[in-house]
Amino acid sequence: MLKRYFAAITILATLSQAKAEEWVVPADKAKKVSPFAFTPESKKAGEALYKANCMSCHGMPGKNNAIPLVPPPPDLAGTVAQSLEDGEFFYKITEGRGPMPSFKNSLSANDIWNIISYLRSFNDKYVQEVARKITREGITEGNIQILFKLIKENKQLQAEVMNTTAEGKKPIEGAAVKLFAKRYFGNLPIDEERETDASGMVAFDFPKDLPGDSTGMVHLSAKLVDEDAFGEVKSDTVFAIGAPTCKPALNEQRAMWNVVQKAPLWILFTYTIGVLTIWGIIFYILLQIRKIYILGKNKEILGE
Amino acid sequence: MSELINTTPTRDAGEGKQPVDRRDFLKKAGIVSAAGAVGAAAVYSGWNFQQKKPNHNMVTVRTPDNKLIEVPRDSIKTFKPILSELQKRGREGLKGKRWVMVIDLAKCRNARKCIQGCQTAHHLRPNQYHINTLTMQATENTPAYFMPKPCQHCDNPPCVSVCPVNATFKRQDGIVLIDNERCIGCRFCMAACPYSARIFNWEEPLQDNGYQEKIVAYEKALAAGDEATIDKLKYEVEYNVELNVPQKKGTVSKCLFSADRLREGKLPYCVSSCPNGVYWYGDQNEDSVTNGTTKETTRLTTLLEEKGAFQLMPELGTKPRVYYLPPKDRQFKFEDDRKPEGEA
Amino acid sequence: MIKENENLERIAKEIMRPVGLSKNFILWMSFLGVILAASLVAYAIQLQNGLTVTGMRDYVSWGMYIANFVFFVATSLVGMLITSVLGLTGISWIKPIGRIAEIIAVAFAAVAGLVIVSDMGRPDRLINVFMYGRIQSPIIWDVTVVITYLTLSTLLYFLPLIPDLAIAKTRMDHCPVWLQKLYEILSVKWGHTTEQYKIMLKSVRILMVVIVPTAFAIHTVTSWLFASTLRVGWDSTIFGPYFLTGAFVAGSAAVVIAMYVFRSSYKLEKYITAFHFDKMGKLLVLTMLVYLYFNINEYLVPAYKMKAADAKHLHELFVGSHAFLFWSVQLCGLIIPIILLIFKPFRKPVPMLILSIVILIGAWFKRLIIVVPTMEEPFLPKQHVPHEFMVYTPTVIESMITIGTIVMAIMIISILSKLFPVIPIWEMAEEAENESEHKLNE
Repeated sequence: MLKRYFAAITILATLSQAKAEEWVVPADKAKKVSPFAFTPESKKAGEALYKANCMSCHGMPGKNNAIPLVPPPPDLAGTVAQSLEDGEFFYKITEGRGPMPSFKNSLSANDIWNIISYLRSFNDKYVQEVARKITREGITEGNIQILFKLIKENKQLQAEVMNTTAEGKKPIEGAAVKLFAKRYFGNLPIDEERETDASGMVAFDFPKDLPGDSTGMVHLSAKLVDEDAFGEVKSDTVFAIGAPTCKPALNEQRAMWNVVQKAPLWILFTYTIGVLTIWGIIFYILLQIRKIYILGKNKEILGE
Repeated sequence: MSELINTTPTRDAGEGKQPVDRRDFLKKAGIVSAAGAVGAAAVYSGWNFQQKKPNHNMVTVRTPDNKLIEVPRDSIKTFKPILSELQKRGREGLKGKRWVMVIDLAKCRNARKCIQGCQTAHHLRPNQYHINTLTMQATENTPAYFMPKPCQHCDNPPCVSVCPVNATFKRQDGIVLIDNERCIGCRFCMAACPYSARIFNWEEPLQDNGYQEKIVAYEKALAAGDEATIDKLKYEVEYNVELNVPQKKGTVSKCLFSADRLREGKLPYCVSSCPNGVYWYGDQNEDSVTNGTTKETTRLTTLLEEKGAFQLMPELGTKPRVYYLPPKDRQFKFEDDRKPEGEA
Repeated sequence: MIKENENLERIAKEIMRPVGLSKNFILWMSFLGVILAASLVAYAIQLQNGLTVTGMRDYVSWGMYIANFVFFVATSLVGMLITSVLGLTGISWIKPIGRIAEIIAVAFAAVAGLVIVSDMGRPDRLINVFMYGRIQSPIIWDVTVVITYLTLSTLLYFLPLIPDLAIAKTRMDHCPVWLQKLYEILSVKWGHTTEQYKIMLKSVRILMVVIVPTAFAIHTVTSWLFASTLRVGWDSTIFGPYFLTGAFVAGSAAVVIAMYVFRSSYKLEKYITAFHFDKMGKLLVLTMLVYLYFNINEYLVPAYKMKAADAKHLHELFVGSHAFLFWSVQLCGLIIPIILLIFKPFRKPVPMLILSIVILIGAWFKRLIIVVPTMEEPFLPKQHVPHEFMVYTPTVIESMITIGTIVMAIMIISILSKLFPVIPIWEMAEEAENESEHKLNE
């Protein structure tokens, strides 16, 4: 009985462990390949990026010096890691999971491919497969524009995705658009990712309470998600759509901790009065000593 | 700038004269005049504030008793304005900002990369922490967790209240800095801080080699009159109150929220060094924070609300600018490999 | 108003006898000088290497120096207690020892200023305190009141000395010429006129009144250096009176020691009598009882509640790493002396001397036990630092510097007591005059 119990435990433990280590990449994502061929330049760029973003956990590839975490970060030059497809690499770096952070906001697709290029340089057997350019019919990169329109009443933001062709402007239907508000250190996603309708229009709900600058201005940026099809299409604008923010400086009020010019009045007053009073008295006493001296001197003169 | 120099008494007459002046001053200024000066300063400063004339001149023009560089007398003129400029902007801070940090305890696995990044940037010894990751366990049966502890940059900072010389101060953007050109080393601020966030340069501080090389290069450039090199290096060798480098023996040092990086639009050293996505940092006025690892940006209020944020010892009334997210749903096993050294 | 008669002649002669530079005095001063020189070397080493030569580190960032500073400020308060509080209430037995109390006040207040400089990381920037002083900082209040108290004490020492200087200047053939000249200058043409006496007595009275709030301020503010923080063990509302009463204990003990030393080495048994020791013994019991009361308040109330942080702190004090020092200080410096001094035989000069020395040493360590354990107990855990950062172990260098400050205070006391009469001649003559008149009337 006990034996069976232990066996069950062991199997369960093994299974759960296996499950913990299993990280399945969706088939369509695993098929993704780099849009460019890996070169010594891409490898060099990837090395710098690797050192800045990956090395602190994974260590140097091939050196087996990852930091001891649970689960341990694999050595990316190792056989296990190198048996991954390029697309699997790309997916894992982009999305992250658990302790492995997602890099989709901090690294561009090109950056990630450069890192993969660097990692592949540790694998002699690797043969690269390069993506064939997938393009939509009638679309030339660089001719696509995103135009903004603000509907003030309901704080809705509309964007129109247009393709400039020889016959004039044409709306693009079914293009996924992402909208961001620019913040000091990064881009804040606004609303969900939306697809354009037949007229190339897409509408985003802007949160009513998102702060803008002192006049409510917010720097916005829209982007087409499918870079493979459209290339990098971005558009920036500034709208007075945010909540006006004009908070006072944090060191404005009179306080104990502020500079002496902004000390609480009572303390300035008390201190000054106290010091002046006592030192006034001290000065008075000194004058009295002088008086004693003068009296004595007069007596001496009279005495003589 | 040269006008400012002329207006300053005693200590500005030039490096060579300085000790004589000071001794002379001390000799002449008896007890009476000294205390009188304090009293007069009180009256003056009160009056001064009423007159709305900020008295920045006195602050900015102090001669550095910077031991790092022996510069020719005529070069002092070019040297001082940089210090005063750095001091001025360092004390003012960034307008319209209210910096805020959010630390996700569920993510911290004590990689100590934040500490490394910080110590390298600020020329600190391995035992000197502007930020330290502590193993916390409130009571016996509550879970242990790792807690990175930077300065809390309180909105009611007890350390700043007690400073006798305005060496440590709070800026308009909320950052509490220390000016080690001003600090007298009384360590009252260290006693006053309930978070043990401050450190002291007990011995001659560490300087990294790159910095030493820059100084040598700067000296050479000064001697040769190489304007281009001087211009390039002068901001890097001069004391920067926003970086607190070079550290100075006998003065207090502390976490600066990497004020120098913020000015450049970059995340603090610790935040961007973290491999585990522990840190969020941003401007409360924008209601947005950015993760140092993933560079993901999110609404501050949403993040605090969804994760049930808390602050360190709020009952003390210090009003910290650092928030913590509870160590809930940790995706790793907590392992304390630290050797317990006299638990506190 | 005093009369030139045989009474004055005799008193002046007896009191002035030890004044001047004797061989023993020079020997004594050279002995102190050697110790002081050694401590100056220690200070030079500290200036050279920084405060790393002390046992202080980032957690225990205040140690012996601050405790020593508090001790100095505390001891100096006795000048106010004896000359003002007792003087203003018309207690006359303090007359022969009032000046001794003032000498101690001046010496300890003056050295207190230096002690705090010894704790500074950048003593070269002392001037910043006056140039950029923040009125919100208790340190600025402390600097202000220490300077003020020193000035008031000096005046309170000097003013009643003026008539004595005038009396003495004609009776100091055994003294060097420079000292005679000094007397001439300092006696500010005193001519024993009624008017001069009136001015002097009025000024002394004003000073006696003004010095009371100043003295209260000086030690209350010193206690606020601790009480104004959020730290466990310091975050207390009774720190002001707690420190103040402790100060009276330390100061009274110091006065008793000085009384004994002057009495025996200057042969002043006629003026400082067993009666004075008895009275001082009673004063000590009173101050110590009040101090004990504050101690009970300070420790019993948190010990009853046992808040987490307090509990840890008190555990260290009562049974932990500081227990030996804590109980030694409480027992030897407070409880045992109280019990003994209640009995008259222990208020005789020699037992009083021994007990006062024990009380004074206890008072010094009491300050250490207030400063260090709190610093060793921060709110957040102490981790990832070497052992020396976690606990405080004083070094030889800082002990040497501390000894140097104590030596400096003793030197100032020695010089003042050797160059000027330690007992007010004119007051003694006045007293003798009153007594003889009293006898005649009977």
